[in-house]
Amino acid sequence: MERHHIVALCLLIVVAVVCTLAGREFLKMHEPDEIIPGQGVTKIENLSTYFGALAGMSSDTKVYILDSGRPGATALVLGGTHPNEPAGFMTAVVLTEHASAREGRLIVIPQVCGSGFTCTDPLEGYPQSFSVQSKSKMRTFRFGARGSNPLTEWPDPLVFLQYPSGQQLSGNEVRNLNRSYPGRPDGTVTERIAFAVMQLIERENVDIAFDLHEAAPEIPIINAIVTHEKGKDAAASALFTLESENLQYALEMSPPNFHGLSHREWGDRSPVFPYLMETSNPIQGRLRGKTNEALVVQGVDQKYYEAAQIGSMRITYNLEGEPLARRVGRHLRGVQALLGAYMESMPEKRIVVDNVPAYEQILERGIGEYLH
Amino acid sequence: MKRAQVLMIAATLLLLTAVSTLLFSQSKVKFDQPVLITSAGQSADVTIAGMLFKKANVQARAISLAKASDLEGIKTLVVVAGFSSKGLGAAGISREQELDRVKSLLAAAQEKKLKIVTFHLGGKARRGNQSDDFNKMAAEVSSYLLVVKQGNEDQFFSKLAAEKKIAIELVDKIADAVQPLAKMFEK
Repeated sequence: MERHHIVALCLLIVVAVVCTLAGREFLKMHEPDEIIPGQGVTKIENLSTYFGALAGMSSDTKVYILDSGRPGATALVLGGTHPNEPAGFMTAVVLTEHASAREGRLIVIPQVCGSGFTCTDPLEGYPQSFSVQSKSKMRTFRFGARGSNPLTEWPDPLVFLQYPSGQQLSGNEVRNLNRSYPGRPDGTVTERIAFAVMQLIERENVDIAFDLHEAAPEIPIINAIVTHEKGKDAAASALFTLESENLQYALEMSPPNFHGLSHREWGDRSPVFPYLMETSNPIQGRLRGKTNEALVVQGVDQKYYEAAQIGSMRITYNLEGEPLARRVGRHLRGVQALLGAYMESMPEKRIVVDNVPAYEQILERGIGEYLH
Repeated sequence: MKRAQVLMIAATLLLLTAVSTLLFSQSKVKFDQPVLITSAGQSADVTIAGMLFKKANVQARAISLAKASDLEGIKTLVVVAGFSSKGLGAAGISREQELDRVKSLLAAAQEKKLKIVTFHLGGKARRGNQSDDFNKMAAEVSSYLLVVKQGNEDQFFSKLAAEKKIAIELVDKIADAVQPLAKMFEK
């Protein structure tokens, strides 16, 4: 064998090794995260139970039902609408693994946009996963993309025509679940997920629903509750409760003419009181520095601190950062406060969820304390 | 000037400032009903303000997009200042249209010699360039400002109040606004 053959063979071997390692990493994103149902979970369904076409696809996902066995309201909590917003789905994971219903029913979907958990957004440099130490072991969760995996509905159109409104949005928004409601059975993967959620809301007679999100610290709508007009009084009441506990929230109205969003379409098309909540997540922001797992979990970023020093931030941001525990704590407390306000306005429809860690508890002990 | 005189003047000024702050903070400025609440910037803080009025047992009507014609029979106009892009979307108007509406409404209220009050409840979320045009426009023609402290960390409202000699009440939290609000309308 001549020298150049040996060199070529070596190069081929190196390429094969790199491709194998990269391929393994790529395929890892298709391995589901371990979510261990707590004692409060009385039934587990798949989203495909509500729309069969999702069965066997990466867009199918688990639906956890926490039924008190006592009459009352049904609440739905969605995490993972945008899989790059980890406080949303980690809040849902904590509820699944730790909470229980005392009155009424709680339905939790931690990773509603299953397809979006199978990739990350290109050019963002996001980590593929992050880890949290639970009581028994290190738990690792995928950090996904904002939208569904482009491989499942490639290519994106130049202009996304939202169904059924006909509203025009940029092409990549076609994979954004929170622009795709009410969805349709013969639509894109993302529209089918949206359709399945609408089916669930109808079949399970959901009364109040939460879509948990995060946003970049520099945008105005953070630490916010977005409400459909029918839920605004309850939202205002919850905001008073939260403020009395030193948790500041901005109240935002859902624009009636902006279609496809959960808080708009759920509210318009079903009796449900819909709420979307946002926390502040530095890894999503444009000002961020090093983009890694630590930023997901600890939320400390020197660049955001500097931005706060020159008055460019709408939130208080210090060197403690915006840790995942605080963001999850805010969501958990927000859900509880809104459930309380809902019951004040609808006394005949009670829903009481126990074993939800308090904001201070989760700050002090961390999320892992409430995971198996 | 002798040192004693300087000290005397300083003490007098300090006393005057303290007394005027105390007077203003005790909500000595009185307002009459009926009350119309409106927004400047279309934030949902109007809903929060409505709830504050309910808690304070003061009757008030809220119209987020109030026009000059809505001022008929009104004695006090409460403007809840702060910009919200979602709110503007909900109202179906642009920021410029909202600025024009607020400007005309305030002009009409001044012409009718109504008392104008500005509430700023949204803290930092309702500050910054987008909001401050509304905050300034409403605040500088008001006779009373009720502001949650987080929105005044840079003294934006305090400075404006001092410059225009407007009474100002700063509260730690939104819920703390109930008491001064009730006092504003005490008979």
